[in-house]
Parts: sequence; C-alpha cells; structure tokens
Amino acid sequence: MAQSAALNLWQLAFVLGLSPLFAGIAQKCKELVASKRGPSIFQPYRDLRKLFAKDEVVSERSSWILRFTPYVVFVVPLVVTLLIPVLTDFPLFFAFVGDMLAAGFILAMSGFFFTLAAIDGGNPYGPMGASRTRMVGFLVEPVIIVVLFTVSFVADSTIPYIVQQHWVHPLANFFSASHVLLLIAFFMVILAETGRIPVDNPSGHFELAMVDESKALEFSGRSLALLKWGGYMKFTVLAIIFLNVLTAPWGLASTGTIPAMLLATVLIFVKVLVLVLLVVIVESSFAKLRLFRIQEFVGAAFIVSVTAMVMELLGL
Amino acid sequence: MSAWLYHLNALVLGLFILTAIAMVVMRQIGACMQVFVLQSLLLAASAFLLGGAPWSWHLFALGCVTIASKAVLIPWILRSMVPAQVYARREFSQSIDVSAILLSSLALLLAGYAAGIPLNAAAHSLSPANVSVGMAGLLIGLLQLAVRREAVPQILGILAMENGAFLVGIAIAPNFPLIAELAIAFDVPLLAFIVALLTRSVYQETGSTEVGSLTALRELL
Amino acid sequence: MNMHVAAWLIPALPLFAALVLALPRSERVASALTIGCSVVSFGLSIAVMCGLQMGGVLVLIAHWVEVDSLSALLLLLITLIATTAAIFSAGYIGPEHSALRTRLYYANFNLFVFSMLSIPLTVELGLVWIAVELTTLLSILLVSFSGTREALEAAWKYMVLTLLGATVAVLGVLMLFWALHVTGSTDFTWTGLRVAASVMPLALVKTAFALLLIGYGAKIGLVPLHTWLPDAHSQAPAPVCALLSGIETTVVLYVLLRLRGVFLQVPAVHVQAWFAVLGLISVGVAVLLIVQTHDFKRLFAFSTVEHMGIVLVAASFATPLGDAAAVWQILAHAVTKSFCFYAAGSALLVSGTRSIADVTGLLDKSKITAAALLVGSLAISGAPPFAVFLSELAIFRAGIVSQHYLVTGLLAAFIVIGFFGVLFHAGNMAFGRPAPGRRAWLKLPVLCGIALGIAALPVIVLGAWIPLALARLLLHSAAVLGG
Repeated sequence: MAQSAALNLWQLAFVLGLSPLFAGIAQKCKELVASKRGPSIFQPYRDLRKLFAKDEVVSERSSWILRFTPYVVFVVPLVVTLLIPVLTDFPLFFAFVGDMLAAGFILAMSGFFFTLAAIDGGNPYGPMGASRTRMVGFLVEPVIIVVLFTVSFVADSTIPYIVQQHWVHPLANFFSASHVLLLIAFFMVILAETGRIPVDNPSGHFELAMVDESKALEFSGRSLALLKWGGYMKFTVLAIIFLNVLTAPWGLASTGTIPAMLLATVLIFVKVLVLVLLVVIVESSFAKLRLFRIQEFVGAAFIVSVTAMVMELLGL
Repeated sequence: MSAWLYHLNALVLGLFILTAIAMVVMRQIGACMQVFVLQSLLLAASAFLLGGAPWSWHLFALGCVTIASKAVLIPWILRSMVPAQVYARREFSQSIDVSAILLSSLALLLAGYAAGIPLNAAAHSLSPANVSVGMAGLLIGLLQLAVRREAVPQILGILAMENGAFLVGIAIAPNFPLIAELAIAFDVPLLAFIVALLTRSVYQETGSTEVGSLTALRELL
Repeated sequence: MNMHVAAWLIPALPLFAALVLALPRSERVASALTIGCSVVSFGLSIAVMCGLQMGGVLVLIAHWVEVDSLSALLLLLITLIATTAAIFSAGYIGPEHSALRTRLYYANFNLFVFSMLSIPLTVELGLVWIAVELTTLLSILLVSFSGTREALEAAWKYMVLTLLGATVAVLGVLMLFWALHVTGSTDFTWTGLRVAASVMPLALVKTAFALLLIGYGAKIGLVPLHTWLPDAHSQAPAPVCALLSGIETTVVLYVLLRLRGVFLQVPAVHVQAWFAVLGLISVGVAVLLIVQTHDFKRLFAFSTVEHMGIVLVAASFATPLGDAAAVWQILAHAVTKSFCFYAAGSALLVSGTRSIADVTGLLDKSKITAAALLVGSLAISGAPPFAVFLSELAIFRAGIVSQHYLVTGLLAAFIVIGFFGVLFHAGNMAFGRPAPGRRAWLKLPVLCGIALGIAALPVIVLGAWIPLALARLLLHSAAVLGG
C-alpha cells in the first residue's frame, strides 16, 4: 500500500520533472535538422524559472476562470498520470479509479477550461484560437472514440494495465493489423491534439496563423509558466499512453524494487525519446496544413482507426 | 496457418486498404503512382504469406510475377511513355471533396466487409479476410475511377480494382490454372502500354491529360 | 484437308499477318496481306462448318481449345466480317494517312481479329476471359485511329468502361472457379461447369453470376453500361465500327449465352428473369435513343444495343425455339450490322459529315451509298424480306409458345418503335430535301463499293434462302446452346 503510493509519486515526479526536458530535446533536434544550432535542451527549465519569477498581469474585466485555468491545465495531466502505467507494468494505487475513457475525459476538461479562459481574456486572438482548437478537437473526437472502442474490443478491457498486456501475450498479437493501425491512428491523434505540425506550428509567431498558441497570449508570469508546463506534461502523458498502453509494456518495471524502478525510468526515458525523434522527423518533413486541410488529416486518422476496427472484425 | 502468418497477412491487408484509399485522395500524380507500387507489393506479400503455410508454388509464382509486372514494369512504362510534365502536376480538380471521398470509401470498406460474410460462410478459403478486403479494394478502385479526372490516376484506379480482384483470387483459388499469372504477366503490361500510348495522344491533342474534361460526345437532346 | 489443321490455321493466319506487318511493308502489301489472310480464314471456317455438319466437337487440346457447332458459327461470322472489313479498309484508309500509321492499322486490325477468334476457340473460362480482355485492349487504338479530340474521348471512355467490366468479370471467373473447386471438380470448361453447377454453393454462384453479368454486360453495352458504345462505335473508322458492332459485341454476348447454360442449372439464380429484364431495358432505352439521335453512325450504334437486348430476351425464354431464334438473330444481326456500318462509312466518305441533317438528299449525290443506307436500314430495322425480320418473328413465336406474353408484347412494341425510328432517319437521309449550303461531295472509292457489294450479298440472300450446311450448323448451335 505504502509502496504502491510511493511508486505513484515516483511516476508523478517522472512526468513532472522530465516533460520540459522532452520539449527541449524536441526543439533542439528540430533546429539541428534545420542546420541551426538551437537553444540548449534545458531551455524550457530556464523559461519556466524566469516566468515563475515574473509579475503577472490580469485584466480586471476577466472572471475567476482566467485565474483558475492555469491550475487546471497544470493538474490535469498529473491526475491522468496516476491512472496510467508510466513506469510499472503492475497496477498501482489508483489504477482502477479510472480507465482510458476517464483519462480522455479528464484531459478534455483542461481543454474546456483553456477554451473558456481564452475567450474570457478579451484578447481578439484568443477566441479565434479557441474556436480553431475546438474544431480540431471535434474532428479528433470520433477518432479517439473509435480507437478506444477498438482497443476495448480487442483487449476486452479499457483499463490501461490490462490492455497493455494483451499486445504481447502472445507476441504475434503485436503484429496484428488492428494493433499496428491503431498505433498509426493514435500517433496522428497525438500530433493533432498537442498542436504539432502538420496541424499546428508550435513555434510559430504569427498570431493569425496560430491554432493553439494564441489562446495563451493573455497569460503572463506564473500562469503562463503553469500553462506551458501543463502543455509539456500533456504531450508526455499522451506519449506514455501511446508507448506503454497502446504499443507494448516493454521496459516497464515488473517489481517495485528500487533498481528495477531506476532501470524502468531510464528505459521509459529512452522510449519517449524515440517518440520525440519520430515527431521531430514528421515535423521537419511536412509542411503545416492550411486550416481547412486539417479535416483531411484527421479524416485520414479516422479512416485508419476504422480500418483497424474492420480488420479486427474480419479476424473473428 | 500459424498465428504469426495470420497476423502478418492481416496487417498486409490493413495496409492494402489504406493504400487503396490513399490512391483516391492523393493530389500528386507521382505520389499516387508510388502508392500503387506499394499496393502491388502488398498484394505480392499477401500471396507469399498465403503460399507459405501449405507451400504453394502457384502463389509464390503469382507473387513474383506481380512484383515484376506491377511494381516494376508498369510504373516504368507509364513513366517513360507519358510526358513528365504530367507527373509534376500537383493539384487537380476532383469531382467531390476529400472528406466526402474518405467517408464514401469507409462506406465501401464496410460494404466489402458485408459482401465477404456470405461468401466466406459458403465455402472454405485460405483467408476469409482476403475476400472482404479484396472486395473493398475493388469497390474503392471503382470510386477512384469515378472521382479522378486525370488520365494516370484513372488507369491506376482500374489497376487497383484488379489488385483487389486478385487479392480475393489468391485466397479463394490458389490453384487457379495459369490465368492469373498470364493475365498479370502479359495483359496488364499490355494494358499499361496501350493506355500510355492513348494518354500521350490525348496530351498531344489537348495539351493536358485531364480526361475528365473531355465531354464533347453526348446526346444532343 | 485435316480439320484440326484447318481449325488451328483460322486464328493463326491473322496472327501471322500481324507479325509480318510488324516489319516494314508498303501499304498495298499490308492491305493485300490482310485481305488474303481473312479470305483464307473464311474459307477454312466454311471447311470447319462443313466438317461439323452432324454436330459433335472438334477437340484441339482437350479442356482448353475445342470447337463445337456454336463456336464454328462464330468463327464463320468473324472471318466473314473480317474479310469484308479488310476490303472496305483498303478503300477507306486512304493515302492521307502516313505509311507507318496505315501499316500499324493493319497490324492492329489483324491482332484484333485474332483476339476475337480466340474467344469461341477456347473453352476454359480463364482463357476466355483473357481473350475478351485482349479484344478490348487491341481495339482501343483502332477506335482512336483518326486521332481527333472526339475519337480520343471515345477511345478513353471505351477503355475505362470495358476494362472496368473486365476487372469485375475476372472476380466473377475466380468466384466460379472457387465454386467449382468446392465440388471437387477441376474441369473449368463450359461442360464441366454445367455438370457441377447444381452442387456448387449457392452464395458463390449468385455472386459469380452478378459479377459476370455486370462485367461482360459492360462489354456488350447493356443499359446502363452502354454509354461508351455509341461514342466508340461512331468515332472509330467504319471498318472498325463494323468489327466492333457487328462481331465484337456478338462474341462477348456468346460468352454470356454460354454462361446462361451453366447458371440455368441453378434455378435460384433466376437467370431467365435477369436476362429478360436487362434485355428489355436495353431494347427500350436503345429505341428511344434511336428516335432522338442526330448522327447516323450513332443511330446504328444504338441499334446494336437494341439487338443485344433482343438476343438476351430470346435467350431468356430458355426453350429450344427461343435458342434457335437467338442463334438466328445473332447471325442476321452480325451480317446486317456490318453492312450498315459500311454504308454509313461510305456516306461519311462522300459527304464528310456524320450529321443526319447535313446529308439529306443523298440519293441525288451518290446512288450507291444512298441505296446501301436504305437497304441496310430496312434490313436492320426488321423489314421483310430480310433476315432480321425472320429472326425477330421467330423470337416472337418462341415467346408466345413459351407463354411469356408480357415480355414478348413489350419486346414487339419496342421493336416497332425502333423500326420507325431507323426508317424515319434513313428516309430523311436518302430522300429528304438536300441540306442548304454547298458541300463538297466526294466520290466513293471503288474498293469501298466492292466491299459494300460483297457485304450486301448475305444480307439480301439470307432473308430468302439459307444454304443447307448453314441451316444445319444453326440447328446444332441452338442445340449446343440449350445443352
């Protein structure tokens, strides 16, 4: 019990501590691919420290939502972290509190508050970004639902700890059509949900073209720091769901001993790193889509997920 | 068939469907052709996988002929005989928009799945999934033929339909006497050759290969 | 001469001519060689016909290449029309085309004839499918021969729809093989299938039937897959039109009729109902299109759709009388339609236009052409005393005897509409007031006139008298069709 709680805390620390690093590595790699030197991989930590030290300016016409939202955005990925297997392949204290659908709903809550806050701030670009994010969100929603349904259909469960074991027992399952196609679909969902190219350009500075970034224009100081950190953690959490739950439980600790957990920390770090590199490759080789082409990208993800489902049906 | 071969074949089939749909929506003609090559390789892979478990020379030969003819010879014929400007074209008008195409191809995928059920129930085949996916591939190829207006993608649509038909064929008629190899080895390259000649004439006569815009012949009511 | 050698030589001769024409030859040699090979092939077909007078089967390679009475009839028709088309080509493909193009035309022509000949010769369904696919592929460039925008459009539509049909049909062939395989048989021929049909799994047989009907139906221009036919059959050079309309559609129809024998063994497929419905729709739509058309080559193309439908309806009765009428109709249509296209081609040559309104008063300008058009139109629309009249009467009789009153009544009504439609246009062209505006009328090349004369012979003779050998062949063919 106590050990289980301690391991949960370890996982929280992993997500909390390392997610800015992943963002930094991604940024550095992108610059390297573009033949530039780029900032240090620890730049996100410095940014966060700087922002925490700064004063915060809040419009006096705004409501409590604007003030409350950064905390929601920051806390939500941590809550989800409790539900999913970050480092261990056995269920921890909170494992059965919620399944993958619950995780999805909780993540959606932060998006909901962020949208309201963007409108609340009164900045003209805020509502624009909010409505665009919502558009992507609406389009992505059916894909996520089909993916989750297919997962529950294949693995007879939506509890992450049970799902992850299905893909490798027997090992042939790993290569099943539904599994591979689900991975492709979910990878595309991650790109869309975390605002990466080809859906959105996270490093863009042109307000009119922004999708996700423009929502944060009205925040400063500590609020902005929390929002950024929450964004980093959201990517990490989605990456971990993708890697540990949907791909394979490889690299996870099977016992709660300290050496095993240390090893798992390293291995999972490497795993996430591989995904980050994959995202970098995608971001560097594709151009951002025009806004009205986004539906085609998400449509492709939808097709892939439905094909996964049909392939599973065909196997019966 | 072992679980491994079964899963790998299913994976090949899943990718086959994706290539079929990708060919309908691809805007670049050159990319469309590359996807077709990929699809033909997937067809060959399925033939190898099905021919592996109870060993079948026939399917092995079919796979080899498919690679030689559809993945090598046909792209070469179409590339060398149709003017290069055609492949450089990027955007062109499709009859309906991409989302509608995606949704229609989903409907066709499900239709193919539904069409396969009674057939698989009626008789034993090497791989029931091949029947449904092949049917879907055929229907999606038909969709491609209907919505594309350029010459090369239309032809690739016909060839994609044929890929679908043979994907069914390798599962239901593994010992089909000769026709499949003959058809793929001689008919299909001949088809590509003649169509390429025709496409070149169209290009010389009209200055483009947008055959969808040729609508002079119809009833004058 | 040995019958086997004769049967092999029939398809070998056009193939030989095509191969020879791959080497540089003058245009005169090309056309003479084509005519020569066609004539010899025709003679050999008559020999084969006489050899098969008592019915029976000439086995060249068991289960692969066999000739029975029905095949012999088709061989006869193909070689006959190939001969007249070759002669007509000599006049039609004039010196305005380059030597290379002319030579390639004749090479392609011979290959096309070869591919059509291989359909009745083969009995294995896979090979038949390949042969049908070859007829499409080898005729595409003939359709686009003139190289105009319209011809290219027609060739493209022709290619897309017929190749689509071929692809659907190949799946049908594979399904049928699967169904046969399930019964334990490996004899994938017409007879083998007929034997095994009743024990095949029903779902497979039904699917195969649907796929084959769509696939081969697209090739013979069944409504609603007919849209390519008037384009291709009007844009191609006249001799190619004669081959396409007169015989290519017929050989594919022959495949469907053979398949009918297989599917009749499975009552749950309802072959008769499908044939009757699709046939009637085709006839009905075609006659309406005939009435409204403005182009005399399209007129005859629509008439082809009509006649394909008529044969299907005749086949749907599935009685010996109906089969005999269907075979008779095939013969009459092939002979008459090719003549019609020669007449239309001649009219196009002398007037330079396809428009009906622009060639009115043809009788004043070119007596031969106008007479040919009139005779052709009368014959194809079913006026007595021509062969089509007799065969259509036979079909009505078969329908009434087998108590298909509704089908026969509708068919008769449509045919009457078609009759008046064709004659209205033909009368306009021959006797109407000459169109205003001066048009440069050309003289008809002599060879075209000769071809018209030769092609007219069977049209006129067959209505009044049938050679005994041919009559026997027809009887046996009908028997083969009925099983």
